[in-house]
Amino acid sequence: MSELKCVGKAVTRKDAIEKVTGSAEFIEDRFLGPLLYAKMKKSTVAHGKIKKLDLSKALKHPGVKTVLTGKDYKNKIGLYLVDRDFMAVDKVRFWGEPVALVVASTEKAAAEAVELIEVDYEELPGVFDPFEALKPEAPLIHEELGSYEVVPIFYPKAGTNVANHFKLRKGDTEKGFAEADIVIEKEYYVPQMQHVPIETHKAAAHWSPDGKLTVWSTAQSPNVVRQLLAKAFEMPMHKIRVISSYIGGGFGCKAGASLEGLVVPVAQKFPGYVVRIVFNREEDMQGTFTRQALYSTLKTGVRKDGRITALEYKMIWDGGAYTEYGVNIVRAAGYSSSGAYDIPNVKTDSYCVYTNNSIGGPVRGFGMCEMQWGIERQIDYIARELNMDPLEVRLINGMKKGSTTASGQVVHDVDYEKCLKTVADQIGWGKKEQPEKGKLRGKGIAGLVKCPAQPSNAASSAIIRINEDGTAHVMIGATEMGQGMLTAISQIASEALNIPIEKIDIKVPDTDFTPYEWQSVGSRITYTCGTSVKRAAEDALGQIYYIAANLLEVPVEDLTFDGKIVYSTKDPEIKATIREVADSCKKCTGEGIAGPIIGKGSFVPKNMTNLDPETGQGNPGMFYCFGATGVEVEVDIETGVIKVLQLATSIDAGKAINPQLCTVQLHGGTIMGLSTALYEDVRFDKGVMLNRNFTDYKIASIDNTPHIESFIIETPETNGPYGARGIGEQPMIGVAPAVANAVCDALGVEFNTFPLTPERVWRALKEKK
Amino acid sequence: MLSYEYIKTGDLQEAFKLLESREHVYPLAGGTDLIVGMRGGKFVPELILDLKDIEEFKVLTEDNKGITIGALVTLNEICQFKPVVDNIPILAEGCHSVGSYMIRNRATIAGNICNASPAADTSAPLYCLDAVVNIIGSGGSRTVPVDEFFNGPGQNALNKGELVQSVTVLKPYPEGKGVYFKASRTGSVDLATVGVAVQSWGDRVKVAVGAVAPTPVRALSVENAVNEYGEKDWSKAAALVNNDISPITDLRGSREYRYHIVEVLVRRGLEQTMGV
Amino acid sequence: MSEKITISFTINGDKETREAAVGQTLLSFIRDELHLTGTKSGCEIGECGACTVLLNGKPVNSCLVLAVELDGKELVTIEALSKNGKLDKLQQTFIDHAAFQCGYCTPGMIISAKALLERKPNPSDEDINEALSGNLCRCGAYQEIRAAIKDAAKK
Ligand SMILES: Cc1cc2nc3c(=O)[nH]c(=O)nc-3n(C[C@H](O)[C@H](O)[C@H](O)COP(=O)(O)OP(=O)(O)OC[C@H]3O[C@@H](n4cnc5c(N)ncnc54)[C@H](O)[C@@H]3O)c2cc1C
Ligand code: FES
Ligand code: FES
Repeated sequence: MSELKCVGKAVTRKDAIEKVTGSAEFIEDRFLGPLLYAKMKKSTVAHGKIKKLDLSKALKHPGVKTVLTGKDYKNKIGLYLVDRDFMAVDKVRFWGEPVALVVASTEKAAAEAVELIEVDYEELPGVFDPFEALKPEAPLIHEELGSYEVVPIFYPKAGTNVANHFKLRKGDTEKGFAEADIVIEKEYYVPQMQHVPIETHKAAAHWSPDGKLTVWSTAQSPNVVRQLLAKAFEMPMHKIRVISSYIGGGFGCKAGASLEGLVVPVAQKFPGYVVRIVFNREEDMQGTFTRQALYSTLKTGVRKDGRITALEYKMIWDGGAYTEYGVNIVRAAGYSSSGAYDIPNVKTDSYCVYTNNSIGGPVRGFGMCEMQWGIERQIDYIARELNMDPLEVRLINGMKKGSTTASGQVVHDVDYEKCLKTVADQIGWGKKEQPEKGKLRGKGIAGLVKCPAQPSNAASSAIIRINEDGTAHVMIGATEMGQGMLTAISQIASEALNIPIEKIDIKVPDTDFTPYEWQSVGSRITYTCGTSVKRAAEDALGQIYYIAANLLEVPVEDLTFDGKIVYSTKDPEIKATIREVADSCKKCTGEGIAGPIIGKGSFVPKNMTNLDPETGQGNPGMFYCFGATGVEVEVDIETGVIKVLQLATSIDAGKAINPQLCTVQLHGGTIMGLSTALYEDVRFDKGVMLNRNFTDYKIASIDNTPHIESFIIETPETNGPYGARGIGEQPMIGVAPAVANAVCDALGVEFNTFPLTPERVWRALKEKK
Repeated sequence: MLSYEYIKTGDLQEAFKLLESREHVYPLAGGTDLIVGMRGGKFVPELILDLKDIEEFKVLTEDNKGITIGALVTLNEICQFKPVVDNIPILAEGCHSVGSYMIRNRATIAGNICNASPAADTSAPLYCLDAVVNIIGSGGSRTVPVDEFFNGPGQNALNKGELVQSVTVLKPYPEGKGVYFKASRTGSVDLATVGVAVQSWGDRVKVAVGAVAPTPVRALSVENAVNEYGEKDWSKAAALVNNDISPITDLRGSREYRYHIVEVLVRRGLEQTMGV
Repeated sequence: MSEKITISFTINGDKETREAAVGQTLLSFIRDELHLTGTKSGCEIGECGACTVLLNGKPVNSCLVLAVELDGKELVTIEALSKNGKLDKLQQTFIDHAAFQCGYCTPGMIISAKALLERKPNPSDEDINEALSGNLCRCGAYQEIRAAIKDAAKK
């Protein structure tokens, strides 16, 4: 490959000036026009029949325009398993589920009217623990499960609370355990967490007299919102326009569709108004996706030399009241269930179970943080049991070029070893530091891997328009929620077109104008959208050459383009500026050559397959991204307070399109991981979410965030644009187990769950005594 | 958006009248408790009485009586007031541990104690310092020791029509050292799981603890052991704190952890103030 | 009852007289009445700092101030920092260090940092921690923010 001009450089973010000046428009900043305000009436029981829903007082309240209930929405909604009503119909399944929507001319009137709605419930026995939910006598949360529409790669069990059972059988675990010298079996638990982007979920809808619906939304995926709304409201797609703005953080909670549909019928009823719904922090935490809790049992057979011969992984996920999206997390964790390790014999059962807790759904890592918590803790158990170095055990079993994943997919472009060794070196692995009095120190490492969890037909596309002056517009459907997509994609366009990045304009999507993108999730955009953009650029470049060849009357093969001028390699004096090519498109005789230059590119993965329903074998991964985290901690043995002294993270990005933004992402993911490791868990009391604001749910702030050393490793991804693969979620995955491994190294006590709060550490120490 | 009246007055007599004019009148200082409470429906005022024009509440002085902190002085101002920093650093630490820098730009010490949270971070230092609360009302002024000001969670000693004018830390100031330790989940902006203030006066000590009883409390058992019985084994002395407290379990910590951590922090406080 | 009170104040250097509803927070007044949407809402209870503005020169959470309290005061929001297309040095160093991702916390961060540099032109790590602990960034740009502030201090 020739020298790259723009890819691989720390070019300034495309959204930089807007974001530091406060002029960047987030969606709420665009809710303009005559407004109506929507507010939800929420369920006060976790499981119950709606006996009475009296709207009369609310309807009479001054300023109120209308009040809707679940019955005003004809269809259900759901991405993979269509199990969710916009608002409860006859029955509520979680505490805080919307039962009515008040729409008024002021926010105050709407809020007041919500209080005037009278609801009576007949409480049903609730199920708050997936093990309870699995019992034959457990109350059913979705009686109609058998009749729900479902994408046929998921396996709900009608008449039970099982929303999906993913099965994986690789090799022969019985044989594997027979070959083992020791067998270790442990239980793990990962609690629910919340994404808490600083911007909450927001949406607005507008209906124009010609029957066009416009939706503004914080959604990560305007195309999916359009698709789901089209289906739910039985509308053709060209009559729905979904507009995105900068998104104030997503982390998965804004994937799929959530609150947009609520206001659609209202907009239809009141054409000309912009009907807005804005979740406050409490509503956001309690009413949108939470990370599903995972209860798991992990059994490994290991030879004395450290080689893992068999793995049995049973995962029980608390899917919450609706699992339209959660079923796929359960599947992804299932097919990835050997983590970053090549294990010949694997048997996995991953169950998505309905409970009356808040709705489970995607979070940065998409099941990998939860599933690899167990794997990475287990490796340390194995090492201790065998009296081996945990790093060594990881290196022995870690995936290499040609290894197979749990689903039997062969991985190619891998240097996991380098990821591990890099962080180990950084934190001085093997060297024990002297702690302060009353404190103990320890070091821990964890590895990680993740592929985008997407259906094999998840596609991407791009259009590049070359202006008359040779500048360009890149049009794509991916969203910008901080990950730096606009910048990375522009860099790819600039590189492939050979046009300087300053001459490239790029915007956030609007489904009426930007081409299709499945979803901005799964760390896939750089790869999928990047490939589309590269193809679009190549297409545009082809047209530039074609026009230039005709204009200059030389064969295309003799031409080259330096970003400004197309000229003949045989005689550089035969040349045309990009302006001349883009603008005139015609010979001096006036004879036309071609119309304006519009490059198009699209992408769908070719290396994925469906999985065998019985064995889970196949190729679910578009690419696999590996990495590792290393941590040194100091623990106050009296208070249980953990201080992180060193934090190192490495990710194999294949090729960092923008090393600066890549590093920032590494830091961000690592901090989010650290925050979950130390502070975060959602607490429920019989389905009632107890810590649903920032006073009660704490996340990392600047003063408890240590310095991070990050390393970008570049083992090129054969099919990625310029060798790149996605890295957005990955840095989070290894942090919690690395911290726990370090604390365990310091204290000699094991943790099978987190967060490692001072109290939890203290309890563990007390039990050890 | 909430419905209530808002009146700001600089005239104390008018303020007293207004306080008695409705059932639910809330004085407004920094608003960091009040506005949060209104949003959550905990406070439903008919009238908000903004105190910020009352000059009498803006004093921050040191005189022969001691240091007097007016009800409108912000926590950041207290943290930077030289006589506090020099003479009673324990109070500066307590004030500094409240919320974030932005919160402390608004929050007042009067608001902190009027809100009467058992976890109020300025309270344990004030208890240690035997501070007094200067109360003013239409009936005149009165002075209440801070430990009689707290009556229970959210309950203070004010009668209807009264306001806190200021808080005074009396002379003589402690001759020894003072520390305020706050255990919290994150060590950052967070409410106290437990707050421990320890102040030595020569070879005597005062200890107060927060978030382990319905109000902040003096750890009199610990003080007695050290001051009256000459206990020099700080671990033994600290263990006695359990007699003085009745912690509960909540989102920030369990009863058992609170029992444990308060003991550890009292011992550390004794070590730091009385010497190891 | 949404009683309104007339208030006079200075906003980003300009004198203004407006009606403010009793019961409205300063945050809502800034966004919905003054239409200065750079100031963001993230929690409405003083915990996230997205709504940070300068009130009489001091950083405060505008969600915990009543709009009517603005009377007679001076308000500065993020919009004031880049006058005539010229960025404040902090805005430039935030760009140079890529000290943000989604950018939602950024206006509040920059306002807090601005106030910090006013009172401590050469802040230490501890000073930065103290000044910004009330500004949450879920994207986790803290390390870059620290670097950007230190860099701005040198300029
Ligand atoms: C994000 C955040 C973090 C916080 N962190 C902490 C913390 O770490 N530690 C802690 O202790 N607190 C914390 N608090 C609580 C709060 O900031 C303090 O209690 C603060 O000191 C209250 O002072 P204020 O001036 O804001 O009171 P206000 O909210 O104005 O008033 C509080 C109460 O006292 C009444 N009142 C106020 N002044 C008077 C007066 N002069 N006379 C009579 N009544 C009066 C009011 O009517 C109200 O009921 C936090 C709050 C927030 C929002
Ligand atoms: S919105 Fe004001 S601090 Fe969060
Ligand atoms: S940049 Fe997204 S919250 Fe800070």
